[in-house]
Amino acid sequence: MRFDVIVIGAGHAGVEAAYAAARLGCSVGLCTMSRDTVAHMPCNPAVGGTAKGHLVREIDALGGLMGRAIDATGIQFKLLNRSRGPAVWSPRAQADKRLYAAWVRAALDREPNVTWHVGKAGRILVEHERVTGLAMEEGEAYRCGALVVTTGTFLNGLMHVGPEQRPAGRHGEPPSRELAESIKSCGFRAGRLKTGTPPRLHKDSIDFERAVAAGLFTEECGDASPIPFSFSTTRALCNQVRCWLLHTNDRVRDLVCANIGRSPLYNGRIQGIGPRYCPSLEDKIMRFPDRERHQIYLEPEGLDVDEIYVNGFSMSLPRDAQEQIVRALPGLEHASMMRPGYAVEYDFVQPTELRSSLETRRVDGLFFAGQINGTSGYEEAAAQGIVAGVNAARKTRGEPAMTLGRDQAYIGILVDDLVTRGCLEPYRMFTSRAEHRLLLRIDNADLRLTPVGRRMGLVDDARWERFEARRGRHARNMHALDATQVRSDRGQRLPVRTLLRQPDVRLERLLERGCVELDLEPATRALDVASLENDVKYAGYVKQEAAHAERLTRDERRRIPDGFPFARVPGLSREIVQRLSEVQPETLGQASRIPGMTPAAVAVLGVFLGRSLSP
Amino acid sequence: MFSTDDSIVAIATPPGRGGIGVVRVSGSSALEIARRLLECRTPLEPRRATYTRARGLASSATAPCGDVLDEVVATYFPAPHSYTGEHVVEISAHGSPVVLEAIVQRAITAGARLARPGEFTLRAFLNGKRDLVQAEAVGDLIAAATPLQARVAFDQLEGTLTARIAAIDAQLFDLIARLEASLDFSDEGYHFVEPAEAARAAACVAGRVSELLCDGRRGRMIREGATVVVAGRTNVGKSSLFNVLAGNERAIVTDVAGTTRDLVTERIDFDGLALTIVDTAGWRETRDVVEREGVERAVRAQEVADLLLLVLDRSEPLTRDDERLLASTNDRARIVVVNKSDCAAATGFSWPNDDGVLVSARTGAGIAALRQAIQRALTGSEALRDTAAISNTRHIALLEEARTRLTSAQRAAETGHTPEEFVLADLQAARECFDEVVGARTPDDLLEHIFSTFCIGK
Ligand SMILES: Cc1cc2nc3c(=O)[nH]c(=O)nc-3n(C[C@H](O)[C@H](O)[C@H](O)COP(=O)(O)OP(=O)(O)OC[C@H]3O[C@@H](n4cnc5c(N)ncnc54)[C@H](O)[C@@H]3O)c2cc1C
Ligand SMILES: Nc1nc2c(ncn2[C@@H]2O[C@H](COP(=O)(O)OP(=O)(O)OP(=O)(O)O)[C@@H](O)[C@H]2O)c(=O)[nH]1
Ligand SMILES: [Mg+2]
Repeated sequence: MRFDVIVIGAGHAGVEAAYAAARLGCSVGLCTMSRDTVAHMPCNPAVGGTAKGHLVREIDALGGLMGRAIDATGIQFKLLNRSRGPAVWSPRAQADKRLYAAWVRAALDREPNVTWHVGKAGRILVEHERVTGLAMEEGEAYRCGALVVTTGTFLNGLMHVGPEQRPAGRHGEPPSRELAESIKSCGFRAGRLKTGTPPRLHKDSIDFERAVAAGLFTEECGDASPIPFSFSTTRALCNQVRCWLLHTNDRVRDLVCANIGRSPLYNGRIQGIGPRYCPSLEDKIMRFPDRERHQIYLEPEGLDVDEIYVNGFSMSLPRDAQEQIVRALPGLEHASMMRPGYAVEYDFVQPTELRSSLETRRVDGLFFAGQINGTSGYEEAAAQGIVAGVNAARKTRGEPAMTLGRDQAYIGILVDDLVTRGCLEPYRMFTSRAEHRLLLRIDNADLRLTPVGRRMGLVDDARWERFEARRGRHARNMHALDATQVRSDRGQRLPVRTLLRQPDVRLERLLERGCVELDLEPATRALDVASLENDVKYAGYVKQEAAHAERLTRDERRRIPDGFPFARVPGLSREIVQRLSEVQPETLGQASRIPGMTPAAVAVLGVFLGRSLSP
Repeated sequence: MFSTDDSIVAIATPPGRGGIGVVRVSGSSALEIARRLLECRTPLEPRRATYTRARGLASSATAPCGDVLDEVVATYFPAPHSYTGEHVVEISAHGSPVVLEAIVQRAITAGARLARPGEFTLRAFLNGKRDLVQAEAVGDLIAAATPLQARVAFDQLEGTLTARIAAIDAQLFDLIARLEASLDFSDEGYHFVEPAEAARAAACVAGRVSELLCDGRRGRMIREGATVVVAGRTNVGKSSLFNVLAGNERAIVTDVAGTTRDLVTERIDFDGLALTIVDTAGWRETRDVVEREGVERAVRAQEVADLLLLVLDRSEPLTRDDERLLASTNDRARIVVVNKSDCAAATGFSWPNDDGVLVSARTGAGIAALRQAIQRALTGSEALRDTAAISNTRHIALLEEARTRLTSAQRAAETGHTPEEFVLADLQAARECFDEVVGARTPDDLLEHIFSTFCIGK
């Protein structure tokens, strides 16, 4: 049997890749070990957060699944950084993890181009450095035009709970060994990383009301009027659960210290490098002994789910120690642990092996996306999934790849960072990674990317119409701000736009007082108002940043030909040549971002790009 | 372009400055080339100065075989502990340009290639021996006209400037990291930095940049020197004063009005400051074509001057020409010099002494006070000390840009209404100005700083 595109793995990367390729008209084989773990959330059942929320908005603006999935199955919604400007507003939501998975599976079931294949992928078939198909561990083989590998933490996965070690992709699932071997035998440079997850508690074993009354827990509710992730969500979202905030105490610290020798993180049994932004409890206590207490959130994993997720409490101590430590937390004296926290080590492929299309340079037609590339997080995985899916489809048709610029999308930054800088630790998105942060807002994600999604063929007519309507509204509203005059405090009549430039004048207030009439949709009102206000108030900053971005794109436009002989550029040190040859940057801009590149080296490289080099 | 796999040679000291001159050979075959042009029996020892002689080569057409050129001191610096990071041989000889040129010629015959300007530095830079600032300072060092000028360049070479900017950069970077952390980790229960505190920190960084810039202007003056123009109507004693200041009799002095007809310039070392002093034609209405051209040149010279010495003659009443000159230069940096103090003041000459320097070009009275006044006017009250001073025009421009952005960040933070990401836009732009000096900072550096300072993450 033959597919245009085969996707291995139905995690967050795999589902977006399969969906995108199918939408682009390809026949897609979606191969996964189990249909029960489609778009599974093995860690925190939440989507979004700072910068991650931006990624979701962008995936949605391109026409992907994640935004709609979380709007449909979220149970508590919050906009982070609301006190700041819209450039750093980030939506975050708690998901019902079962409903979320079911929603995504159903969405893929509705795609006629997607054929599921439940089984374990074993070997990538390659002829003449070109991918030709996939052989399952059970033996059968499929042919394909392009193959997307999104196997997450499964490659040679090894689970740790205290001294216990068990080969596993994640809790309750077997690792992928044959596939890991197959990937290594293609010559890809691989490394080993580690991640971890906290214990889960039974909700009936915790008396939340009493703990709140005693001042041990603080209740955390969602926003009064939540902002949706998806541009196509029009119904009002509502919060259905509460979360609770509590703090660690001295007992917790003492217990961790007493048991530290039993932690595989501290007795040398774990070699993989973990993410510093998700420190284990062991790390928090040992590395910051002066911090008196640490924040912990208790989060329900769903409406009808017994498990309570203990956010901020990931550890890999033995089960009995975890139990003791959990019960040392205020208000959790009687908590019963359903599952202990654990750490997992896994292989990843250095993403410098990839082009910005996420296709590998070694094997034509082979794409990698998601945690296999050294990232961590559902959103990061999904963002790569949509890029790889689109580009795999385009590859089979001989079309040029879709690449997004760093000044165009967080997705562009994510991919560019991966392919130029590689990974030394699990990669997570932060707004501080964006040099043009003021341009990359959640309110303009559609303005930036929906036209791209439309060109690619991901955006259907209904969505496109909605987009054009929103764009039209924005322009009309902008005009209204110019055309409407209002009396200032000093009695002058001024256009609203002029008045709005003053830092303490807020558009929301002017609307309340009826000073100006705008055309606003209830579902997107908060964002639309923010968009307008931002465009007026911070026009100077935004213009400056756009000019800066423009200057930088000059280097982005200087392409480095495939197979450029870096070694023959005079004056470059051996280390720099080695880095350049490993990364094979596609533009001078990318070259300049490779760690260890000096300005002089970039200058020298720039000088020699246009010249023929003597052998 | 520059290739780096061959050996290069050039005179490494500035041209035309007597004393000792140095010829430098750098590259993998530097030792081989040196051996061919030196007359030494034993091989050169690393980093040990060897007294020997340079000789002509048998194959040389210009010099007879074995012709001894000069007595020299040769030193071999093996890679990587040398100026360029390559094998280097430095040959010091008496500074006659003829001798140095000849040594270079011999080195070329022996297989070296004549270095292009800056090529040693480029190699040093490419071998990681110099950062960008230091690489530029090398050029400054070579062009230094006075000992103090050389000293400033030397400070940069030692990295003093890099160190000072790095210290400022570190403070700014910490502020940025805190603000960034408050955006990316807003739900971590930390107060990373309060707006008022951020405004204060931005102001403090801006202040430190200003301090450096203040030194910087002096640095530029030291490097590029200042132009001082002597102006005044005819016959007041401009040329006489010029000669006194220049310490020689360059300009012609007569009692005929209109003696000086063109610009006369002299470069002098003025207490460590490289001064170009210009004597001009005296100002008067004239029909003489040559003199009128001279007067026009005088006017143009006045326009580019860093400082004007406007000379009055107190032995005569002030004339209309004097008045006109006084009025037209009123807003310029100038010193009014009241000359001929050895004569009695004419009735009708009225110029308050406390707003001018009273001198006599003839007797030398008051000249010391005038020199001090010039020094003060050009460099501020501080005496020229060799503190870290930025002497490169580009660095001054970058620091000025940084200060502008810092001030704007400070103002934005002070309002309390401007969200952090906009304050950060200015701070980041300021920080990028330092990239060229201390190297770029990546988002990974930033996250590293945040994670090592704060316990963050779930
Ligand atoms: C224990 C744990 C803790 C984590 N903690 C965090 C955290 O703290 N913070 C954070 O941001 N992220 C965390 N994550 C990471 C987050 O879950 C992943 O980044 C994200 O889910 C990766 O998505 P993916 O699509 O790349 O892979 P996954 O979601 O892992 O999906 C992999 C898919 O590949 C399939 N598969 C694997 N091998 C084969 C095969 N041979 N044949 C067929 N199918 C195969 C699997 O069945 C699965 O469907 C954690 C993950 C785990 C397991
Ligand atoms: N007594 C006295 N005579 C002076 C002094 N300075 C200059 N003179 C005389 O003034 C006359 C003019 O001097 P110059 O130096 O040629 O004057 P100048 O301003 O250069 O004149 P022009 O070039 O013609 O414009 C000469 O005779 C000098 O000797 C001074 O301090 N005292
Ligand atoms: Mg004269």
